[in-house]
Order: sequence, then C-alpha cells, then structure tokens
Amino acid sequence: MANSVRQLKVGSGGRITRFTDDHIAGKLMTMGVLPGSRLQVVRIAPFNGGYYLKVDGMTIVLRNEEASNIMTTLDTE
Amino acid sequence: MNTVALAGNPNSGKSSIFNQLTGLRQKVANFPGVTVEKKSGKLQLPDGEEIVLVDFPGAYSLYPNSEDERVVLNVLANPASENFPDAVVYVADLTNLDKHFLLLTQINDLGLPCILALNMADTAVEQGIVADKQQLSEFLQMPVLSVSGRTGEGIGKLKEAISAILQSRKTNAPLYPPGPMEVNTLTQVQQLLGIENAYRALLVAHHAQKLPHLKEREKADVNHICEVEGFNGLRLQIVETMHRFELFTPILQKAISKKAEKISFSDRLDNVLTQPILAPIIFFGVMFVVFQAMFAWAAYPMDWIESSFGWLSEVLKEKLPSGWLTDLLTEGILSGLGGIVVFVPQIAILFFLVTLLEEVGYMSRAVFIFDRVMQQFGLNGRSVVALVSGGACAIPAIMSTRTIGNWKERLITILVTPLISCSARIPVYTVLIGFVVPSKRVLGVFNAQGLAFMGLYLMGIVAALGSAWVLKKILKSTEPSWLMMQLPPYRLPVWRNVGITIWEKTSAFVLSAGKVILVASVILWGLASFGPSAKMEAAEAKATLVAQQKNLDETATSNLVASYKIEASFAGHLGKFIEPVIKPLGFDWKIGIALITSFAAREVFVATMATIYSIGNSDDEGTVHNRLAQARNPATGEKVYNAATSASLLVFYVFALQCMSTLAVVRRETNSWKWPLVQFLFMGLLAYFGSWIAFHLLV
Repeated sequence: MANSVRQLKVGSGGRITRFTDDHIAGKLMTMGVLPGSRLQVVRIAPFNGGYYLKVDGMTIVLRNEEASNIMTTLDTE
Repeated sequence: MNTVALAGNPNSGKSSIFNQLTGLRQKVANFPGVTVEKKSGKLQLPDGEEIVLVDFPGAYSLYPNSEDERVVLNVLANPASENFPDAVVYVADLTNLDKHFLLLTQINDLGLPCILALNMADTAVEQGIVADKQQLSEFLQMPVLSVSGRTGEGIGKLKEAISAILQSRKTNAPLYPPGPMEVNTLTQVQQLLGIENAYRALLVAHHAQKLPHLKEREKADVNHICEVEGFNGLRLQIVETMHRFELFTPILQKAISKKAEKISFSDRLDNVLTQPILAPIIFFGVMFVVFQAMFAWAAYPMDWIESSFGWLSEVLKEKLPSGWLTDLLTEGILSGLGGIVVFVPQIAILFFLVTLLEEVGYMSRAVFIFDRVMQQFGLNGRSVVALVSGGACAIPAIMSTRTIGNWKERLITILVTPLISCSARIPVYTVLIGFVVPSKRVLGVFNAQGLAFMGLYLMGIVAALGSAWVLKKILKSTEPSWLMMQLPPYRLPVWRNVGITIWEKTSAFVLSAGKVILVASVILWGLASFGPSAKMEAAEAKATLVAQQKNLDETATSNLVASYKIEASFAGHLGKFIEPVIKPLGFDWKIGIALITSFAAREVFVATMATIYSIGNSDDEGTVHNRLAQARNPATGEKVYNAATSASLLVFYVFALQCMSTLAVVRRETNSWKWPLVQFLFMGLLAYFGSWIAFHLLV
C-alpha cells in the first residue's frame, strides 16, 4: 500500500514508489530523491512546518505540499 | 589563457578547494548580466602554465531550479561565453557520492575534459567509507583523485592532473543515449543553430526560452521544432534523470564500500537544534550572543583606532604650516579616513560570526525552522539567510536571494531586507545612542547601550516583517512556491574559508564604501569651508562684532566666527534649504546636511558630523560623540543632541534607505527602476513618520 509522506508518522519510513506531480518530481530528482530511494520522516518543523527527512542517508527538508506528492511504501516493523 | 571551471553540487565543499588552489589571489565579480557572484583566481600549474580558475555556483543539474543553477547552464550551453571552460574540475562529496554524479555525467556529455575530485576524504575515512578510485575512473574514463579542502591533502596532485588534462584535452563519449524523440528534436536544433555536441543541442531544446545568448528568432525556431516534435520537456527531463541514475548507481554500489550507518553526530545535534520547541529559542539566543559579542569585542580596537587618529591629526597640525591645505588634510581627509577605519572591527566581527554560522551548517537549519513562519509573511525559509546577512550588509544579502525560486517571495525579501539594520548603521547608532541611553550595566551583565542596540535591530526586524506582510497582500502571484533543500552535516569550520570571507567582505566594505566616504568628506569640507564670498565676509564681520560686544576671549571668538561662517557656507545653505521639512523631526540644518550626504551611504553621517564640528570647533581632540555633546543651539543655548532629537535621528536611520549601492543592486536584481523607487519611497515615509512619532514622544 502506498502512502504519501504526509501520512507517515515521525520515525517511520519506506521506499519511494512514485511522485504525483511532474514539476515537483523534476526538482526532487535532481537532488537525488528518486523512486526506489529509502525515506524516513525524522521530524516535523515547529508550527506544523515542513518535513525533515532522511533520503538514502542524506538530510532533506521539504514543505508539506511537496511531501504530499511523494508516495512511499510503509515499513512494517 | 586557459580557463578551468570548478563545478559541483551545493555542499560539495567546492569553495574550500577553490580557496586551497588560489589562496588570496581571488577576484570577485559577477557573471555577465546577472548578480550571481563569480569568483575567479589565477593559478600557476606545476609545469609553469598560468590558468584562470572560475568557481561556478553550486548546482544539482543542468535543469536549473534557481538563478544560481541557471548560470551554470547558461555558461555551459554557450561555448562563446567568456567563462566557457577548457576543462572542468568536478568536486564531489565522497560521503554522499551517488547524489553528485548527475551533474557530473551531464557535464561529461557536453564533451568537456573533466577531472573528478573526491572531497572530504578525511571525513569519509572516519565514517568508514572507502572508494575504489580505479573502478570509478574506468567507468567515467576520467582522472579520479582524492582531495581535502580542509587539510589541503591531494591539492598538488590535482594541479598536476589539471596540467595533464589541458595537454591531452581528452573528452569522452556521452553516457546518456537520447531516446528517439530527443534525437529527432536535437538533430534539428543542431542543424538550425550549428551546434556540434548532441547533448548541448538537447539542453538548448529544453531551455531555449531562457537562454540569454539566443536571439528571439532562434528561440522561436527552436520552440517551433519542439512543438512539431511534441517535445515534452518535463517528462523527458524525468526520463533522462532516471536513466542517468540507473547507469551509475550500480557502479557506485560496487566502487564504494560503507560500514553500517550509525546515528551520526549531526543527527544527534539536530535532535536538539531543530527540536520544534527548542529550535526558535536557541536561534534567538544565538543571535543575541552574536550582537552582544560584536558590541563588546569591538570596543577595545575601536578605542585604540580613535585615539591613534586623534594623535595623528594633532601631530600633523603641529608639524605642518597652517593653511587650507593642512586643514584639508586633517579635517577633510584624515577625519574621513578615521570615520571608515574605526568601524572595521565591528564589521569584521559581524562578518566573522555570520560566516561562521554558515560554515558550520547552522544557517540552513534556520531556513528549515523558520520556513513556515516566513510563509505567513509572504517570504521563504531561505529569506532567513538574507535577513540575517542583512545585519552585515544589504548588498550581499539581496544577492543571496537568488536561491529563492519563487519570484514573489524573492521580490518581497529583496524589498524588506534593507530594513534590517546593516553594519553601516552601526557608526550612526554608536555615535547617537549615548545621547539617549547611558552606558551602564543592567541586571549585572548586560550593557544598557547593547540592549538599546538590540532594540534598534528589533525595530528593523519588526518593520521588515510588517512590510513583508503588507506586500504579500498587495502583490499577486500564481507561480508555485517551494522549499526543497539538502541540509549539510554539521562541520567544524574551515578557518581558511572563514578568514578569506572576512577579508573579502571587509576589504570590499572599506574600499567601496570607503571611497564614497572619503570623497564625500572632502567635498563636505569644501562645502563647509567655502561659500558666497560676500556672505562669508559679512558673517565673519558680524561674528567679530558680536564677540566684541559680549567681550569673549580669543578661543570663544574663533568658535563663534567658525559657527557663523559654516552657516554662511554652501553647506549651510543646503542644510537650511531642507530645514523646514525636517524641523518637525527635531533636526536642524546641520543634521540636514548629514542627511543629504549620507544618502550616498549611511556611515557618511559620521564623517559629515566630524567635518562640520571640527571646523566649527577648534578643539579637535576626542570623538565625534564628544563633539556632538558640546553642540548647542546658538539661539537658545540648549543642547542640540538631546534625547528626543537623537532618538528621532536613530529611528530615521533605522528605516530610511540611505544607501545608493543598495538601490543599484535592487535595480539590477529586479531589472527595473520601479522596485528600487517603491522601496525608497516606502522606507522614506516609514522613516519620516517614525521619527516624527519618536520626537514627539520624548520632547
């Protein structure tokens, strides 16, 4: 089952399956955030701000709108 | 002379390598047509050849998401560009290598001779990352070296490799095979524009509309080809990016061995520094320490500089024959110079601390922490960097906004940044703050004047955010806004980088602002010393008469004469002309002169005051502050610089856009006179009414 990053809880993660917006996909992919990358939600910014993510060991920060365009699997632990 | 480009992702540590290679033989300019900073430096290779090394802005790919990245594309897509390189040194961070290969393979496909420099070899070893350079070199068909921007390890070998590649000019076959649709389009673009390299033609097809070197006709033709072929740029970009990653990811997995990942120091530090509740508190704590430190540390060297200039002026006056030439030297030139040099400690300390915060990686955390809040004001998290750097100087701060992709957010950031108190206001604040707040300790540890300083900065910040909020409501935009940013791991600062930045920024301030100040103070000395001769003589006669009536001694007489004369001088006329407008703010015509001259740059205020009062007062010892403290209204005998006038003047300088250079930069960044004009007017009105309120509250 694919979820958007918005549905992931802090601390959980999965693998990116696809992006739902080509513009955002294009931007994220140049930074190396790709379908197949491992993603983990580390933290959500103060005042319900953006996302602090680990993607393949790299720290990336995004806004909520962008995070909602990233679909991931959910790790079962 | 051969040009070698230094390219790489942001956070690749490129600038450390650049500093290692060129040291202080650097030149800062702009890329043609934009204000993106171009650093270049001459470098002597081991074989004796001298080359120009150009530090390109950090970029992730040749599909730009910001002005910075666009520059890299613009240069590499145009072989006729003056910055077009003969070879490229590609700097990549060994600790995160796979993310750095996209741009590298794109540059490779442009048919440029490349060297791959793996940076942060030392950190990688600590993290248990080992790279098989042989394998990487075989895959890429280019020299692969380890270097360290921190220690300078491998720099010698890198220079040798640059020599070798400039000899061999070895280029490689492209790694990315374009698909059928791309081939159809790019072949036609190649024929149309006579482009030899296939990948360059593909890039032109993707970006034609925004490439500055193409003529309108050519853009239209490329556009036509793309339409006929059904060229979907966005989709094809995704396909190309995916394909490239699929090409090199398996190779990198084989060539790089990593130990199991553990929780790094950065992660643990971020657990505290970006923790939702603690983060803003820590940020403001850090800023508080920065400004307190700047004020406290700078006090000693400033005292020393002040007394040195005072001593020098005395010595010159004694040794040189008296006359207008000596006056010009001591009262025009020397007091102007003193006015510049005395503020170097504060400016250097502020640049030092701001650079330090950037170097260690804290600034990008601030972007993340404040993005949401900034959005409420129509700004972007990245605006935090501009607003904080605005505390040093609005000019680099405004230039740093080019990383903000959304035009409206960028424009608002540009418009409100000059409201943040810059280092050029420090001189004005320092001179005046003593008239409003006494220097004493509060609560045992804080300096009262330091706190008042903080208050002035806060006033600027509140005005900046308030104006941003208003602008957000006025300006309309449909352009998408985003924030996607990689946070670099925390690192110990590379002191060489910090040192070079302070040196560059401070010397730029002293030289560029200094020239203006020096010229202004000489002109002022002239304006204040000369006037319509009939009026000057009348003034002198009248003053002498008054002095005789009052039975004044010799010193008091000459003071009176001087004060009458400056009133009759050209400067006096100018100040009197605007006096009716500024009188409601509690300003007299002397302050009026300073307001006019300090439009060139705020710090000219101090030099102006030094000139006006050292001419009006033969006692030249002591600081500008002391001179102003002695100033009295000749009609009423009251002190000119009472708390109300001084506070009003302080408020004026907090808000008014008294800086020609800022206006020039805003014009260049926004490409029209409209925005700098809007900015000048709204800041001017804010200043006028703010001062009026301050004056009437205290009077």
